[in-house]
Amino acid sequence: MPDLSCDGCADDQRTTMTRRRVLGNAAAAGAAGAFAGLAGDLLSTQLAFAAGRYTGDVLVVLSLRGGFDGLSAIVPAGDPAYYAARPGIAVPKAQLIGGDSRFGLHPALAPLLPFWKAGTFGAVQAAGQTAPNRSHFSAMEQLERAAPGTSMRTGWLDRLLGGLGATSPMQAVSVGSMMPARVMAGPAPALGMKSIDEFALYGDQKDQPMADTLAKLYAGAPTVLSGPARQVTTSLATTKALAAKPYQPAGGAVYPDDTLGRALRDVARLIKGNAGLMSACVDSGDWDMHENFGIAETGKRMHDKLAKLAEALAAFATDLGPAGMKRVTLVTVSEFGRRVRENGSGGLDHGYGNAMLLLGGGVVGGKVHGRWPGLGERHLVDGDLAVTTDYRAVIAEILRKRCGLANTRSVFPDVRTTTSGVVRPR
Amino acid sequence: MTESRKTSISRRSLVAGAAATGLVAAVPAPAEAATAVRRGADYVAADAQLHLLRRATYGPTAASVAEIRRLGVTKWLDRQLKPAGIPDAACDALMTRFPLASLSIGEIRSRVKAGTLRYGWDTMLQLGFAATSRAIWSERQLFEMMVDFWSNHLNVTNPSADVWDNRQDYDRNVIRAHTFGRFSDMLKASARHPAMLTYLDNRFSTRAAPNENYGRELLELHTVGLVYTESDVRNAARLLTGLTVDWDTGNYRYSLNSHATGPVKVLGFRNANATAAGGEKAALAMLDYLALHPATAKRIVTKLVVRFVADRPPASLVTKLTKVYLANRSAIVPVLRALFTSPEFRASAGMKVRTPYEDIVATVRAVGYGPDKSGTAGIESLYWLINSAGQAPMAWAPPNGYPDVAEAWASPGGLLARWNAHLHIVAGYRPKEFQRPENLARELVGRLPATYGGLVDALARRLFGRTLPAAHTAALTAYFGKTATSALGSADSAVGWKFPQLVALMLDSPYFAAR
Repeated sequence: MPDLSCDGCADDQRTTMTRRRVLGNAAAAGAAGAFAGLAGDLLSTQLAFAAGRYTGDVLVVLSLRGGFDGLSAIVPAGDPAYYAARPGIAVPKAQLIGGDSRFGLHPALAPLLPFWKAGTFGAVQAAGQTAPNRSHFSAMEQLERAAPGTSMRTGWLDRLLGGLGATSPMQAVSVGSMMPARVMAGPAPALGMKSIDEFALYGDQKDQPMADTLAKLYAGAPTVLSGPARQVTTSLATTKALAAKPYQPAGGAVYPDDTLGRALRDVARLIKGNAGLMSACVDSGDWDMHENFGIAETGKRMHDKLAKLAEALAAFATDLGPAGMKRVTLVTVSEFGRRVRENGSGGLDHGYGNAMLLLGGGVVGGKVHGRWPGLGERHLVDGDLAVTTDYRAVIAEILRKRCGLANTRSVFPDVRTTTSGVVRPR
Repeated sequence: MTESRKTSISRRSLVAGAAATGLVAAVPAPAEAATAVRRGADYVAADAQLHLLRRATYGPTAASVAEIRRLGVTKWLDRQLKPAGIPDAACDALMTRFPLASLSIGEIRSRVKAGTLRYGWDTMLQLGFAATSRAIWSERQLFEMMVDFWSNHLNVTNPSADVWDNRQDYDRNVIRAHTFGRFSDMLKASARHPAMLTYLDNRFSTRAAPNENYGRELLELHTVGLVYTESDVRNAARLLTGLTVDWDTGNYRYSLNSHATGPVKVLGFRNANATAAGGEKAALAMLDYLALHPATAKRIVTKLVVRFVADRPPASLVTKLTKVYLANRSAIVPVLRALFTSPEFRASAGMKVRTPYEDIVATVRAVGYGPDKSGTAGIESLYWLINSAGQAPMAWAPPNGYPDVAEAWASPGGLLARWNAHLHIVAGYRPKEFQRPENLARELVGRLPATYGGLVDALARRLFGRTLPAAHTAALTAYFGKTATSALGSADSAVGWKFPQLVALMLDSPYFAAR
């Protein structure tokens, strides 16, 4: 069982920094801010290598970027304050599906209802970060660094990969974007690809391998140059093999032809292709709905967005099938939830507490986890849903029970809350 | 970093400085352990003139190298800082191929109304094509780099559906109009432009329901950075209510009825904001206060230093430029002059890595290709190539602009896209339509060298202004199954149909990636 209490990580925590300082430094380092200080981590973080083949769950992290409105997905229908705060855009009780006496699912999530009923799709309500942060960029930075109050600059998934002993970029792939997933930033190898089919070196030939020449030219180059070059040359072989045969999703699964659908389809390919995947990151953007949120019917903004999300997730679970999903846990994260009260533009401003969605064979689904704080004025945090579950506690339980990581402290330092029963032990 | 600049720079301190910028291999992989670890500076020509061209332009061209050799660094920089005096007829003529990009908001809207222009992205895409063309072919290189800098700083995503009628006007009247002017003027222009007011939702913000989106990004991204409180955001949002967009004309309008009156306090700015009639003036006063705030000065010069000097900005230079910015009341040309003439700049060769956009644009410049003889198919194709590498100009979706540090772009996927782009462009596979020399090898290396080593040397001198170490020359000649001393024949594929592969491999190398 790999243990993450490594010296290098402790080094990171030695200096405690205030949140303000961490954010200030990150902001000063450039527009993105997010990637400042990585070089330091490259120097100090040690990797713990696990022997043998990884047998834990493939952890799929789906980032709902822009601020997901968990209150519309997992609707607190039993809380009258919800309907009072959203006269124009609340989802009427009669339209809700699944759920229980307290919550109901948005009707656009219908493709996921079978999985809800089968107990492989579930949710945690009122989850989020330890402190409110309503700026997209610094909230995303905090979310993916997942170590508030420390000077750690790596992403939490990078620290996990280090702990699990990842050695090849094919073990951690972010699909759908050229931009590396911030959550994977750090020394552990990881790969960003737009798609499997597009990951090929043009002009590379058997008798004249361009990749070999490039490997020689990059040998000894600074990490920021040589790291990606090495990852390209070593990953090309795998994608070449996967792309060689056309892919037919199983179980009649139909992925929506959008960014998320295509990305999840490729994640399924990587899993089925036994490429050694430990974790995958996929993004779904455009959740930042300050205006024209719309009611729960086709053609309305949030409805259609949720429908596409549900179609993609359902296709993914269908494609892998119950047997495949036994080794997969998918979890959604978002930088913040949205304000309880709708604004003057029929939309929702940035908020705090949120819902996390869980999909997988080991998920304890068909129910909403977490302690519900209530939406009454006195329970809110500056007008927003309070957080009763640290999102890291949810992921930590998955890491312990599904990914075989005994000690999650070095991935998530200083998590005060724990969850129990979000997933089953393997 | 500051310390190492102050004292005479030993190799040791240089390495330490480079380590801080992330340009040293901190943990060499086992396979590389035998190879000496190099610094970014080891990959670029040690030449102050070429260093300036790599930073203040979208990449050296044969002509720009000749020009800076003739003028010297000081005169070259003076000239670039006065772009109006630089003839740019060819690029201006090229711009006429993107006529929509120069239309006003009213003209776009009336054409769509009349049915002569399709509602959609055509205007915004032409703006993107125009920006790409200017980056490659304009003589006003530093100006165009700064247009890109400000377009990212005050980002309004192009293309995006909401700004279909006004994004080109924003480019012209907010960004380009003030690119070499004062930031305070640009900021105020942006706050009264429908593109920004739409992008950050202020057009929908009312006294009854203020929308905080613009107020927050104004503080966090456009001006002071993360030193604000939630109360500052709420106050700024309230003061900005009323700055909106006229539904009928699509132009900026100040709406008395939407403005929230009452005292506001944002950082050290206070205003009684007693009447709706005075609301716009009060908002502009806040913008002036913010533009000239020391935290804004530091934030903007830091971004400039990250852009032009190093990913880890030397504190000494930031301090110096902050003073210049404040002393000149946010005028940007004095800041740029101080930056490019600083010792920190001179000492930074090789410390930056080309971003995907810079990389692909610099590729076209390096091989000296011209735009389509007529039409725009090639330029459009190049734009989409840049887009697939992750960095079409102005296309970044969130309001913080594209990241500008190497780690943010160090994705293997992005690198592969760039490598593929090199061969596509050089070989003329994509774009097909650019004007290319009849004989590329002759154009780039001149008279044919006698050996393969000589070929690599000549090409490296043309592309990088230097030759390569023997091991890397050998790696390239080995690609053709040759050694450096192998005789080169004029009928060899290495100077024939496979020559683009040699050029591409060199552009794929760290010698081109580092700048």
